[in-house]
Amino acid sequence: MAVMSGTNANNDSPIYAEGLVRHFGDVKAVDGVDLQVNAGEVFGFLGPNGAGKSTTVRMLTTLLRPTAGVARVAGFDVVKEADQVRRRIGVALQDAAIDPLMTGHELLALQAVLYGIPKAKVRDRSRELLERVGLTGAADRRVGTYSGGMRRRLDLALSLIHQPTVLFLDEPTTGLDPMSRLALWEEVRRLNAEGTTVLLTTQYLEEADQLADRIAIIDHGKIVRQGEPRELKAQVGAPTLVITVPAGQLDQAREVLRSFGELRPTAEGSLGVGLSAGAEAVPAVVRSLDDSGMQVQHLALNEPSLDDVFAEATGYRLEGAASASGLPQAQGAEGGTGKRGRKRGANESASESA
Amino acid sequence: MTSTSTSTFAHAPATRATTSRAASGLMMRGLRTITRLPSAFFPAMLMPIFQSVAFSGTFFAITHVPGFPTDRSINWFMPLGVLMGSAFAGVGLGFSLIRDLETGFFDRLRMSPAPRNSLILGPMYAAWFRSLFVAVVVAGVGFALGARLTGGVLGMVMLFGGAMGIATVATGWGLGLAFIFQDMRGAAIMQLGLFISMFLSTAQAPLSVMTGWLHGVASLNPITNILRMSRQGFVNHTVNGHTVGPGVTWHDTWGGLIAIVGLSVAAVIFARRGLNKLDA
Amino acid sequence: MSTGTIATRTEFAHSAETSHAWAQTMAMSKRSIIAIVRQPALIIPSLIFPLFFAALGASSFNRATQLPGFPKVDSFLALTLAASVLQGVIFGSVTGGAALAVDIETGFFDRLLASPTSRVSILIGRLAGNALFGSVEALFFTLVMIPFGVNIRSGPAGIAVITLAGGLIGLSIGGFMAAMALRTGSAEAVQGVFPLLFVSMFFSSAFFPRETMQGIYRTIANYNPLSHLYEGMRDLVITGWSFDAVLKSLLIPVGIGFASIPLALLALRRRLRAV
Repeated sequence: MAVMSGTNANNDSPIYAEGLVRHFGDVKAVDGVDLQVNAGEVFGFLGPNGAGKSTTVRMLTTLLRPTAGVARVAGFDVVKEADQVRRRIGVALQDAAIDPLMTGHELLALQAVLYGIPKAKVRDRSRELLERVGLTGAADRRVGTYSGGMRRRLDLALSLIHQPTVLFLDEPTTGLDPMSRLALWEEVRRLNAEGTTVLLTTQYLEEADQLADRIAIIDHGKIVRQGEPRELKAQVGAPTLVITVPAGQLDQAREVLRSFGELRPTAEGSLGVGLSAGAEAVPAVVRSLDDSGMQVQHLALNEPSLDDVFAEATGYRLEGAASASGLPQAQGAEGGTGKRGRKRGANESASESA
Repeated sequence: MTSTSTSTFAHAPATRATTSRAASGLMMRGLRTITRLPSAFFPAMLMPIFQSVAFSGTFFAITHVPGFPTDRSINWFMPLGVLMGSAFAGVGLGFSLIRDLETGFFDRLRMSPAPRNSLILGPMYAAWFRSLFVAVVVAGVGFALGARLTGGVLGMVMLFGGAMGIATVATGWGLGLAFIFQDMRGAAIMQLGLFISMFLSTAQAPLSVMTGWLHGVASLNPITNILRMSRQGFVNHTVNGHTVGPGVTWHDTWGGLIAIVGLSVAAVIFARRGLNKLDA
Repeated sequence: MSTGTIATRTEFAHSAETSHAWAQTMAMSKRSIIAIVRQPALIIPSLIFPLFFAALGASSFNRATQLPGFPKVDSFLALTLAASVLQGVIFGSVTGGAALAVDIETGFFDRLLASPTSRVSILIGRLAGNALFGSVEALFFTLVMIPFGVNIRSGPAGIAVITLAGGLIGLSIGGFMAAMALRTGSAEAVQGVFPLLFVSMFFSSAFFPRETMQGIYRTIANYNPLSHLYEGMRDLVITGWSFDAVLKSLLIPVGIGFASIPLALLALRRRLRAV
């Protein structure tokens, strides 16, 4: 095992990066990323297109050499011990195609050969994985005839052929219908329960919220937030309690609420207050309103969302959230290694200058 | 969410494929393309057949030029067809690699722990099989059209050896260019480079018949040596432009072997460097 | 609205149609020429490859010109000029046909059909572009070969005939390619015809005279109209001006055009009916 100078060489984290940098010409696609993913955790890696997500993942999966910094995956250096890393990771990349001319079964067999799975085990392992992702019936059909959801499931099966310790899922549900998305989420949960550490990149905040134990938000090549979703949401601010009272009691209710925190704008006919003491203050608010003779018709507690965290960290919202907030949307495009990576770098640069 | 906080490093079997097994797996994929995407393979086979037939018919009179080493034009042009077909079979693997690089399938291969050499050797094995197939078919058509084997079984060995040699060179050349360009521009250069270097040799006429600039170029072109070696089973052996007789000789073989080994090593290094560059 | 107004409008539309047909054809042919000129990657092979083969042939087969059956020439290049012209024009015509097929594949052709452009001008315009490119190629090959010792014995008038023949060959072969493009709507299918045309060149006297061939090759070459076309153009180069050579050089492509252009028009009609 290579010893890293100036870093925590003995770090046992399945994924560990320190000062990771990747330049494409003059463009800094990744600009000093520090990451630590703990064993057995699902780690959400969030960012808009062009933020440096995929470039980071490509470095962690040995597809791209870092310009500077170090990264260790499954305990091995991604540059000096790339081969050891490859034996222990499973990767389902968004843009890593599946040969449409081959059948699902043939692809799994090829993958098994490439990972050195003993011949005697290949058939059982393939059958087991096909069953797991629900593709047994389509195993002998050419992949060209598969739907998008089927391809993603096959991709997942391929990444699991060697029972990896660490699984990288790059935008695994992008473009999938809601049912396929839910099925994939379920599978990720199952894998995680079996002890696989998962790094999941996504643009969907809900996906990260549903699956990730911890998340990191990357923007313009830098990690701008990292932590547990709940913790990050709490950092954004107090939850908002929204109540509805009869029109004649609005002024009086406003006075009561003021003592629990600052008032926040809400829809007409309702009142909102940021609970400075957190969600725990809700019973006290209700009691006070009751004591003052208010008739609470409706009550809702709005926790800050990951979208709020994202907006607070980056200054804009991910696609789909902008219209609600009026903040600018994230834009740009991200590609792959080598040539594609360089093109991507140029796009990133364009989005940065914009 | 359920998560296990214990270390799971023991989870992975951490296995690694041997170079030959991984290369064989990749070879099978390369061969499967023949039946799954015949439009990508069969033109490479029809072209040398057509070339052998058309050249021997059109240029029949060339055999009457004094010093021409055979009186059958098909004997002269069929081995050229075999070598041309083998070269294009090799370059075809370069086309496939471009497709894999464009679609991202090659990332999947690079992320696997398969030995890096297997990523070069796999297509190489496939090219050898394809070239053998092409060689058998083109030679078969040649015999049907009157080609006569004058150099015995060893002559056939020379032809097939030359075919596989040129397939190795062409595959290395094709893979290397595919790694460099990563798109179809590479395909045009692969074909053009191969086509031109094959024709700037004794492809159409022997050195003793040639005049002018081509004589100088073809004398230096190592493909001339490979053609000389491969044609031994079908044309007379000549010394200093004088016909000696049929048969395989060491004199006409060693130059071809050196050319095959030299060009193959250069082409494989070229391909391997291209692959290494991809990681940078 | 009065009847008179309608009549006037109809008249106007009719006269506009006839007066515009020429302009439309010119515009379409201009577009096809621009498409050729702006894509050097497509036209360079059609200029370079024939010259490469001519240079190869000159070195490889020069000694063969002393064999019985060969006409008396200073260099093999003089024999191969006509073949170079045809090779170049075939390359160019395939490119033109493929471009038309791409127009169909991308839907640009439908957009033209949706406009009041005359249907025939879409086709004729493209073929005119092909013909012009064919003439340019013929002149280019002739002028390039002269410094290398090819003496055009029929003089400037012969060069003019060869240039004109290049245009007519472009028109007639282009007709086949356009028919193929209109019929299939696939650029790949058009490209697939190239080997067929290329084969037909080898079964003619394009490279070696018919007199030097034997058996079935010779029989096919005797019947192949391309043999007679080459021989006409070749005579203009190596023998001199003759009425027979001029007739062969010009009338054979015209004859081929009589077959190919109606075929293209028929394919156009069939496609229009299908729209």
